[in-house]
Amino acid sequence: MGEALSGVKVLDFTDEIAGSYCTKLLADFGAEVIKIEALNGSDLRSKRPFLKDEIHPEKSGAFFYLNTNKKSITLNLKNPKGVEICKKLVKNSDVLVEDFAPGAMDKLGCSYEALKGLNDRLIMTSITWFGQDGPYKDYRATNLIAEGLSGAMFTARQTRWPKDMPSVLGGHQAEYRSGLVASTAIIASLLSRAMTDKGTWIDLSILECVASTLAGIAADYSYMGFSRTTVPWGIHGFPTQENHPCKDGWINNLPGIGAVPDIADLIEKPELKEDPLFSKPGARLAEPEKFEALFIPYFKEHKKWEVMKKAQKMRLAFSPTLSPGELLEDEQLKAREAFNKVEHPVLGEVTYFGAPAKLSETPGKKGRSPLLGEHNDVVYKSMGYTEQELTILKEQRII
Amino acid sequence: MAYKLLEGIRILDLTLVYAGPMGTRLLADMGAEIIKIEAPQRPDMFTRMMSYPENNPTQEKVWDQGGYFHILNAGKKGVSLDLANEKGREIFKKLVAVSDAVMENFSPRVMEGWGLGYEELKKIKPDIIMVSMSGLGHYGPMRDTIMYMTGMENMSGLTYITGLPERPPLFSNYAYGDWMLGATGAFALLLALYNKKKTGKGQYIDVAGREAISCHIGEVIMDYTLNGRVKERNGNKDASMAPHGCYKCKGVDEWVNIAIQNEDEWNRFCEIMGNPSWTKKFSTVEERLKNQDELDRLIDEWTSQYDHHEVMERLQKASIPAGSVLSLKEVYLNPQFIARGIFEMIDHGENIGKRPVIKQMPARFSGMKSFTPKRAPRFAEDNEHVFCSLLGMSKEEVKTLEEQKVLGRTPKFPPGRPLRKDLIESQAGKGAGYFDPDYLAELRKVFGEDVGK
Repeated sequence: MGEALSGVKVLDFTDEIAGSYCTKLLADFGAEVIKIEALNGSDLRSKRPFLKDEIHPEKSGAFFYLNTNKKSITLNLKNPKGVEICKKLVKNSDVLVEDFAPGAMDKLGCSYEALKGLNDRLIMTSITWFGQDGPYKDYRATNLIAEGLSGAMFTARQTRWPKDMPSVLGGHQAEYRSGLVASTAIIASLLSRAMTDKGTWIDLSILECVASTLAGIAADYSYMGFSRTTVPWGIHGFPTQENHPCKDGWINNLPGIGAVPDIADLIEKPELKEDPLFSKPGARLAEPEKFEALFIPYFKEHKKWEVMKKAQKMRLAFSPTLSPGELLEDEQLKAREAFNKVEHPVLGEVTYFGAPAKLSETPGKKGRSPLLGEHNDVVYKSMGYTEQELTILKEQRII
Repeated sequence: MAYKLLEGIRILDLTLVYAGPMGTRLLADMGAEIIKIEAPQRPDMFTRMMSYPENNPTQEKVWDQGGYFHILNAGKKGVSLDLANEKGREIFKKLVAVSDAVMENFSPRVMEGWGLGYEELKKIKPDIIMVSMSGLGHYGPMRDTIMYMTGMENMSGLTYITGLPERPPLFSNYAYGDWMLGATGAFALLLALYNKKKTGKGQYIDVAGREAISCHIGEVIMDYTLNGRVKERNGNKDASMAPHGCYKCKGVDEWVNIAIQNEDEWNRFCEIMGNPSWTKKFSTVEERLKNQDELDRLIDEWTSQYDHHEVMERLQKASIPAGSVLSLKEVYLNPQFIARGIFEMIDHGENIGKRPVIKQMPARFSGMKSFTPKRAPRFAEDNEHVFCSLLGMSKEEVKTLEEQKVLGRTPKFPPGRPLRKDLIESQAGKGAGYFDPDYLAELRKVFGEDVGK
């Protein structure tokens, strides 16, 4: 078995989640990714969680996860000599990914036009919150701001409490999904380049990546003038997309098309099948509290996996709410070897979530993240620098 | 604009509903040739009946009118073919022989049951790439679990960490899980295509939607594997930033997000609020993190005097991360989206007219050939092109097969019913959203007079 992206050389100038997740995906599937860090390390090295909560550049779990299988070199881009070295690296690379503010690369003398002059096959990728132009181009953002401005967050409210304050998806979903889109755009550009021998500049806006995930639902407004604040029950004939309490957590009781009456069997009250709340969508939509009062007592007496497995046997699409920790115990994830376990010189044994898809021929690498500047010697020597020159560059605070 | 990066790549698309079609739409947006295959007996029903224009379906060919279908299938070709029929499978195999990849999202046993599993397809075309997309994956003890989007999100760990603490764990409520499955399928397919270009080899790809989502909470899972700590849902609060939240504004259901990252930003924010005396109590991030509920209440009092855009503009002018929480209507009318062109105007013909269609590949690729994707295909629209031009079948042959319902131009489809606005407006006594009666006029202001014409 091989690596899908072996032979592809990537320069990674990113310091935030979207860009680093993008290059992590490329590295995990075999590209040679060189992360270029400031002398004191990437900002991601100061991102939580830390091993035993000890703030330390080699102990960030976020940095680890977002940089598996990459190489790390240090390079001072504030020094003109550093920029010179950067340009040498560009000459010999296929892909460059950066997440500076619009115009910052230009100020370094590294605009796409300038770099294209050095390497016209280069695929340069610029990831910003709002894109390289437009009225918001210089606005500031975080994951939360991007979720809100994209239209995605407006719908993030309980179906039963649609006037609640919207709440953002957990973690950093705006940033991660933009990383996925960016890596997809890069591989498509590599495929295109294999035909045309032409590079490109990819201008990717996190805001637009998030908005694009509205996908089909965007038709609500352009076809009917509708802006949803939550999931409309009227579409499904059932209060879907809610979780209900059970003995040891939460369970979603989405039955599937036309299968609501079967819930009566599940809770061992077959006589309820004839109850209008079970047999008539209109009745339960009018009185959801009355409807749920019929099954919640049963859920509360049983554990989530127990209810889920019984329901699934009856072909009902129930699912338990799993905590991030429970994923480690999940029998399906175990059978699929979803987690990778590797040794890290400072963190010790590390377990992290592996590939997003199972590819039979090119399953991807199971490596660790690099230490700060771990590959300075290998990378710079392969560029022709001698031991002596490297010592000088170190003394001059260039590497 | 869409870009022709994947010109010459042909993908057979058996996917139905939302996740799969979204993934192949993403590939269509980059110029791949997507041949969408539906059985007349089992058309792509759900999205074909979602969002009829003006909520007013005409009964003639109602299956071609759904707005969700139009967005998820723009830029594709559409043919009808019944794979439950042996003749249909024979034709499908001929298509496999001239294609690069097959993408499907049936439940795990279906393709093998038809004798169309990867091993079989490989015999027809040794370098074929097959992508299967499902909830929990095609192997493993729970592969037959019935899953919709809720199941994928719920079992990924994401739902557990989403929502207000006083409410149950919250779903995305806009099909994020489906998007994740489709986008990951497209990503994995491109990896395989690149590998094929290098090695000449195809492969089989098994995408589980919930695993794709779990990848996106990587650092949250790390907190558990490193420290044994399980993150609990906590609304919009952040572990290191405060204030960090969603604040009520003046208008109906208007909100603004504010994220203060450091002391400088906090001081500038206080200045904008006119340095009220209460801010003294919150001068360090430790104090702000400790008393977040009180802090949020006080900020709410300030923001609720203003329009959400006004708060955003004032804060952004001082270089503070802030942003309105846009409704779908506001997304269509937002100046940044308009300036950058995230919507393509696509003409859907009679009774539907031109509508803005949101891109699935939003990136711009400088110097690459661009194009506007064609509208989503009408049912069986490309039968002749695909079966006659591509496979060399005669028109009579196609006609006979159509009569035998192996192909067929009329899908099995229920009568078109408008969405029950009354149910939506009365949901939980509060309504599940807003209907804007002037939406066509609003869209015309931005996208031109011919929207809906």
